Amino acid sequence: MRYVRAFGAFWYDFLVGDRWELFLGPIGALLLVRLLVVARVPSDVTGFVLFALVAGVAAASVGSALREAGRPRG
Amino acid sequence: MSSIAIVTVVSSFLASAVEFVEAVTIVLAVGVTRQWRSTLIGTLAAVTALAVLVVVFGTAIAVLVPIALLRLIVGGFLLIYGLQWLTKSVLRAGGAKARHDEAEIFAREVAALREEPPVPATGMDWISFTVAFKGVLLEGLEVAFIVVTFGASANLLGPAALGAAVAAVVVLLVAALVHRPLARVPENGLKFVVGAMLTTFGTFWAGEGIGISWPESDAAILVLLFAYVALALAGVWAVRTWVAPQGDRAAASAEPR
Repeated sequence: MRYVRAFGAFWYDFLVGDRWELFLGPIGALLLVRLLVVARVPSDVTGFVLFALVAGVAAASVGSALREAGRPRG
Repeated sequence: MSSIAIVTVVSSFLASAVEFVEAVTIVLAVGVTRQWRSTLIGTLAAVTALAVLVVVFGTAIAVLVPIALLRLIVGGFLLIYGLQWLTKSVLRAGGAKARHDEAEIFAREVAALREEPPVPATGMDWISFTVAFKGVLLEGLEVAFIVVTFGASANLLGPAALGAAVAAVVVLLVAALVHRPLARVPENGLKFVVGAMLTTFGTFWAGEGIGISWPESDAAILVLLFAYVALALAGVWAVRTWVAPQGDRAAASAEPR
């Protein structure tokens, strides 16, 4: 049981780490864009939307890390 | 060699070099503090385990899983993993997070190892073996993960493994020559580049996996890479402007009144 827990903890740390939004954000982005693909939205649009969502997740995560570190807004 | 194969070799080389530098720091700390023989046996055992993992999983995944599903899963993993590296690099470059310092990690490892029981006079030192094995296996797993995902998604296991192998040889040669932690390797800069590359490939393959037909096919990879690097650099600038006022206030409060 100890090994199973350690194995789970390793993969959790490997994939999720200390920033859960970087795990769930891309999954949410892919699900959303998949809906657009199914709705036959053109590929150049869906490609751009995926890129924009991923970039948005990254920006939100950096902003969240800064807030947690207690940095002033300037 | 096609352009995507070259990018795969470069990505695999850079990502592997970063992880091998971290593994070498642990191996050096154990070898210098305790016993080189057991340390090197532990290292060799870990490298063998990793090679088996790459060959078995790399081949099995590529053969058994349909390519569209494979690209979605692997692309998703690369995307998650690449974003973690990229955002940490942006925070480090912007001054909001401590930079990775191999010399400091080496000193910490050496201090911890000195508190362990003494090295046995004869035979194997299992502490050296275990610490080296664990360190190399854990750092190397990230390399194995990258090699397997690149290899499986683009059917380029050979070029991906080649990039990792060249990185291992280069890092080991340099470590053997200088015989101290590779603190001068621009590890943070490398992580920035690798993070952008992994995020790019992750977006591209996961996008294909959910049914996107990228305009201009593989050329879209370069466009995505350029866009992510540009955004990450803008992120570094934004973090710096966010962090700077705190430094100014600290300096102002430290001035004599």
